[in-house]
Amino acid sequence: MERDAPDDDTGMSPEASMELIARERRHVGKRLGVNPAPIFTLWGVAFLVGWGACYLAAPQGPGPFLPVWTAIAILVVLYAAAIALPIVVGVRAGRGVRGPSRLTGAMYGWAWAFGFGALAVINAGLYRQGMSEETVSLLWSGTALLVTGLMYLAGGMLWRDLSQYALGVWMLVAAAGSVFAGMPGDFLVLSLAGGGGFLLWAGFWAVTGRGRR
Amino acid sequence: MSDEPLPGLDPVIHAQARLRVTVALATLPDHDRITFPRLRALLGMTAGNLSTHLRKLDEAGYVAITKAYERRSPVTYVALTETGRRAFTDYQAALRDLLAGPGANGDTP
Repeated sequence: MERDAPDDDTGMSPEASMELIARERRHVGKRLGVNPAPIFTLWGVAFLVGWGACYLAAPQGPGPFLPVWTAIAILVVLYAAAIALPIVVGVRAGRGVRGPSRLTGAMYGWAWAFGFGALAVINAGLYRQGMSEETVSLLWSGTALLVTGLMYLAGGMLWRDLSQYALGVWMLVAAAGSVFAGMPGDFLVLSLAGGGGFLLWAGFWAVTGRGRR
Repeated sequence: MSDEPLPGLDPVIHAQARLRVTVALATLPDHDRITFPRLRALLGMTAGNLSTHLRKLDEAGYVAITKAYERRSPVTYVALTETGRRAFTDYQAALRDLLAGPGANGDTP
């Protein structure tokens, strides 16, 4: 789409000029920025449905209402989608842009990978030491929510976003709660508190965050 | 509408195409720069037209155009300079003064 203006159209009225500034700022902001609402919504659904399925499949729970492999398959597929979305959206928005903001974004993105990479290695190592299935489950839910919470604290600090910081604190509370919920209650904490936290945040952003960068 | 720029409005910025370029560059986070093709795509301008307007902004010292090599191919980056950022802020202030009407705060530059 070509939208070329006459070469030197200097006859704009101040009103037209103001309007053009506002319109262009919205247009460019939308393309250069990342709208976090869909990303957090997808993460909310992944937690709510994925971990909800795990709870319903757990032999120690009220069910089991579905086979364990089905629950794990649902969880893996939803997680894969939720991990892919911010990467795709972020890369598309950042095309052709270089500078400090891109460096910050890349370091933040990789921090998730490093954090969960280390978490997986540590938890697997502890499992090899001969932990019970219940303890391992609590270890995973507690540490995963802990790392998630810390990442949102970091995000809140980086982009001076109090709402994201609040989500981080909420995830830390859920992390502590999940360990005391026992198994499979910890799945329920991940599903409702974790997934619910994401969805509430996405809703909050959708209502208040329009036009904000 | 006359072709004369309104008094007090920076003629380098007060032209539709250059205003759009300036807004796009000002929307980038501080100290970030953007490639020529991405900027062109954002604005939907032809390469020739964008080059012309960038040259005028560059002559005024409002944009910095740098060339770099990435994976052995040349890439042109564009960014707003401090001067450009300040000029855009002043331009917006001048617009607000004009819209507030004469005598709103006494001194129109």
